[in-house]
Amino acid sequence: MTAVLTILVPLVTAALVLLLRNSVLLARLAAMAGAVATLVLAVLLPGSRPFSAEWLPGLGVSFSVDGNGAASVLVFAVTLMMIPALLVALTRVEKGAAGFAALLLAAEAGLAGIFMARDLIVFYVFWEATLVPGLLLLGLYGGEKRREATTKYLVYAVTGSFFMLVSILALKTLSGAASFDVIDLMLVTPDLPVVTQTWLFIGLALGMAVKLPIWPLHSWLIDLNEQNHPSGAADVLGSLYKVGAFGFFAWGIPLLPAGASRVGPVLLALAAVTALYGAFGAIGSTHLKRFLAYGSLSHMGIIGVGIFGMHLAGLNGAMYFLAAQMVSTGGLFLVGGMLYHRRRTFDLREYGGVARSAPALAALGLLTIFAFIGVPGLSNFPGEFMSLLGAFKNAPWPAAVATLAVIAAGVYGVNLYQRVFQGPSDVPVKDLDGLEMYVLLPVVVGVLWFGVMAAPQLRRIEAQSQLTALQLERVAAPPMPGETLTLGGAE
Amino acid sequence: MSFPGVLDIDWNVMAPAVSLLITAIVALVFGLSARDSRGPAAVALIGVLTAGIFAVAHLFSGNESAASFGLRYLGDVPATALTLVILLGTAMAILVSWDQLERGGMGQPEYYPLMLLSALGAVVMASAGDLITLILGLEIMSLPAYALSAWRTRDRQSEEAGMKYFLLGAFGSAMLIYGTALLYGASGSFVYGAVAAALQGGNLTLLATAGGALVLAGLGFKAALAPFHQWAPDVYTGAPTVVVTFMSVVIKVGAFAALLRIAATVFPALQPWLLTALAVIVALTLVVGNFTALMQRGLKRMLAYSSVAHAGYLGLALLAANHGGVAAAAFYLSVYALMNAGAFAVLTLVTDASDHGDDLERFAGLGRTRPGLAAAMAVFMLSLGGIPLLGGFTGKVLVFQATIDAGHVWLAVLGIATSVVALFYYFRVIAYMYFRESSHAPHTFRSTPARVAIAVALVGTVLLGILPGWWHTLLSVGPRFLAGY
Repeated sequence: MTAVLTILVPLVTAALVLLLRNSVLLARLAAMAGAVATLVLAVLLPGSRPFSAEWLPGLGVSFSVDGNGAASVLVFAVTLMMIPALLVALTRVEKGAAGFAALLLAAEAGLAGIFMARDLIVFYVFWEATLVPGLLLLGLYGGEKRREATTKYLVYAVTGSFFMLVSILALKTLSGAASFDVIDLMLVTPDLPVVTQTWLFIGLALGMAVKLPIWPLHSWLIDLNEQNHPSGAADVLGSLYKVGAFGFFAWGIPLLPAGASRVGPVLLALAAVTALYGAFGAIGSTHLKRFLAYGSLSHMGIIGVGIFGMHLAGLNGAMYFLAAQMVSTGGLFLVGGMLYHRRRTFDLREYGGVARSAPALAALGLLTIFAFIGVPGLSNFPGEFMSLLGAFKNAPWPAAVATLAVIAAGVYGVNLYQRVFQGPSDVPVKDLDGLEMYVLLPVVVGVLWFGVMAAPQLRRIEAQSQLTALQLERVAAPPMPGETLTLGGAE
Repeated sequence: MSFPGVLDIDWNVMAPAVSLLITAIVALVFGLSARDSRGPAAVALIGVLTAGIFAVAHLFSGNESAASFGLRYLGDVPATALTLVILLGTAMAILVSWDQLERGGMGQPEYYPLMLLSALGAVVMASAGDLITLILGLEIMSLPAYALSAWRTRDRQSEEAGMKYFLLGAFGSAMLIYGTALLYGASGSFVYGAVAAALQGGNLTLLATAGGALVLAGLGFKAALAPFHQWAPDVYTGAPTVVVTFMSVVIKVGAFAALLRIAATVFPALQPWLLTALAVIVALTLVVGNFTALMQRGLKRMLAYSSVAHAGYLGLALLAANHGGVAAAAFYLSVYALMNAGAFAVLTLVTDASDHGDDLERFAGLGRTRPGLAAAMAVFMLSLGGIPLLGGFTGKVLVFQATIDAGHVWLAVLGIATSVVALFYYFRVIAYMYFRESSHAPHTFRSTPARVAIAVALVGTVLLGILPGWWHTLLSVGPRFLAGY
C-alpha cells in the first residue's frame, strides 16, 4: 500500500493545490505537506509490500507496483528534490504558482509510477502520462521560444514512445506471455528468436533512447532546459524525467537480453559519444542553462555506458548515478535560478565575483558543482565510478572514451565556478536569504547522503540488477529446463 | 438449418428502438404547439433516457442470446452496448443543441424528431442480424441526417452540405443494396449466419465476394473510410456544428456496428482478397485522415478529418474482428463518442452563432479567459491523441493489441506512426489555448445544457481511461456475436 500511496498522495495534493489556488497560504501549505508526506512514504518504500489489482483483465493488464529494488532509491531522490523545486515554484513564479506546483506534483506521481510499475502497460502509461506536466510547464511558464521547444520535445518524446508501444504490445503476443506482468514476461520473452528480439528491442530503444537521452536524439533536452522557467524548478523535473536508462535497466535488457546483446554495442558507442559530446558542449556554452543541460547530457552518456556495458557493477552504478544526478543536477539548476533571480541573465560572460558579495551562495554552489563533476565523497562519484568500472570489464574502448568526459568535467566544472563566482565583481548581489537556505538544504543533504551512504542503497539496486544480469547470462548459456523456474524467486 | 418464425418478438430487445420511435412521434406532435425548440428537446431527452434505461436493463439481464424476428434483430452484448453508445451520443447532441438552435435561428420543430429517427436507424443498424434489416436501418438513419445537414436554411454552405451528403449517401446506399442482392444471389439468404454457412464449400464465392466488396463500400461511405470519405469534410464544415456533433458520433457508431458484425461473420467466408482490400482501405484512411487533418487551420475541418482518421483506427479492429477486435472496437466507439462529442460541444460554445469563426486563432488564450472550457477541450484533445490515463489511450491500446494478435503488425506500426502525426495536430489546439495570448476579446456563448454534455463527456473520458476494466470486461462477455448461428 505504501507504493500506491506514493503515487496517490502527490496526485491528490496536486488536485488540492489547484482547488486552493486562490488562497496563496493554503495552496503553499497543502503543496508542502503533500510533498513532505510523499518523501516520508518514499523513505518507507524499502521492504514495503508489492501491490497488484486488476486493471484491464481482458488484455492481461494489472495495476502492479512495487517500491523495492532500484525504485526505492530513485523514488527517494525524486521525492527529495521535489521539496526544493516546490519551494521555489511557490515563491518565485509570479503568475500561476499554484498551477506550477500542481503540475510538479502530478509529475512526481508519474515518476514514482514509472519507477515502481511492475506491469509493462502500467509502466508505459506512467511513462507517457508524465510527459504532459513537463510539456505544460514548458509551454505555460517557459521563455520566449517556448513554443518551438515544446514542439520539439513533443515530437521527440511521442515518436519514440509510440514505437515503444508497438514493441510492448507485440512482445506479449509474440512470446505468448500470460499477462503484461514483469515476471510473466521475463519467463518467456528471452526465448523469442534473436531476430524478433532484436526488432522488438529496437522498438523499445527508440522510446528509451530519446529519454535517456543519447546523441543524436538529445537536442530536445538542451532547448527544454534553456526555455524552461528561469527559477529552475521546472528543470528539476527535467533532470528527474530522464528515465530512459531506467527503462533499459528494468525492462528493455531483462525482457529481451538477446536483442539487447545485438543492439547494445551500437548504443554503447553512442552513449560514449554522448558523454564526450556533452562535455565539449558544456565547455563551449556561454548560457548557464545550456551549460548545465550539456553537462547533464554528458552524465547521461556515462550512465548509458554503464547500462550497455551489461556488467553487474555497471548496471548498479548506472542506476545509482541516475538517482544521484537528480540531486546534483537539480540542485545546480536551482542555484542557477537563484543567480538569475539576482542578475536577470543566464549569460555566463556577464557573471563574475559573486563570491565576494554572496559567500554562502558561492560555498553551496561550489559544493553542488563538485557533486556535479563527480568529486569523491559527494553524490555523483560512486555511481560514475561504478558505471565506468563495469563498462571497462566488458568494453574497455568505449569506457575509455567515456572516461575522457570525466576529465573534461573537471575542466568545465572548475571553469564554471571561476566564471560565476570568482574574479572581479562589478555588481554586488544579495547573499542567500532564509528561504533559499531551506531550498538548498535538501540538496546538500542529498549530495552528502548519496556520496557517503552508498552501500545500503546499492544493495537494494543490486537485488534488481542481478535479475537483469541473470537474464543476460541466460542468453549467453541457455539454462537447463528446470532452472528458469527459480527466476520468480529471485525477486 | 432452421430458423425460428419471423414474428417472434422479444420486447426487451426491441424496447430501446420502440421508445425512440414513440418519442419521435410525440416530440413531433408536441413540437407543433411548442413555443420554442426547448420543449421538444426535453421530450427527446426523456425519450433517449427511457431507451437507455431499457438498454441497460437488457444488458444486465444476462440474456445474451435474445433476438427478435428470427435472428434478424439481435440483442447480444455488442448490439446492446453500441445501442447505449448511440443513445449517449444522441443525448449529448440534444444537450448541445438545446440553446444553440435558438441562438442560430434554427428552431424549427422537426429538428429533434428527425434526430431521434436518425438515432433509431443507427440502433437498428447496430442490432441488425440480416442484410435487409441493415438496409432499413441505414435508410432510417440517413434520410433524417440529410435533412439535418441542410438545417441552416438560406445558408448556401449548409444547403450544399445537405445536397452533397444526400447525393453521395444515395450512391452508398445503392452500393449496399446491390451488394446485398449479390450476396443473396450467391447464398440464398439474408441472415448473416446463414449467408456464411451457405457459402462454406460453395462455388459462388466470387459472386459473394463481389457482393461483400460492395457492402463494404456502401458502409464505408457512412463510416467515412478513405477513399469513400470525401463527403465528410465538406458536410462537416457546411452542416451546423450541433448536427455534426450528432453525425460524427451516431452515424459512425451505426456504420461501424454493422461493419463489425459483417466483418466477423460474413467476411471470413468470402475470398481473402476482400480482407486485403480492407487492409489497404484502412491504411489509406489512416494516412489520408491524419495528414490532411494536420493541414487544417479550421478546427471544425480538422475534427472532420480527425474523424476520418479515427475511422481508420476502428478499421484496424475490423480486420481483427475475431481476435478481440469486436470488444476493442466497441470500447473505442464508446470513448470516441464521448471525446468527439465533447470536443464539438466546446466548439459550439466558442464559435459564432453562424458556426463561423472556428479557426485556431479563436482558441488563443482560451486557457485564461475560459479556464474550465479550455481544460475540458485539452482533455478531449489529449484523449483523441491517445495520451494515457484517458479513454482514448485505452481504446488505442485495445485496437492495436487486437491488430497485432491478428497478425497485422505492419498495420499496427502504420497506425502508431500516424498517431504521432495526430498528436501533433491535437496538441496544437492545446498550444493555442494555453501558450498564446488572445488577440481579440473572447467571444463565447454560455449554455448550461451544453456544459452538462461537456461534463458528462469529461467524466466518461477520464473514467474509461483510469478504470477501463469493467466496461471492457462487460463488452467481452457472452458469445462474441449472435449473428444468426
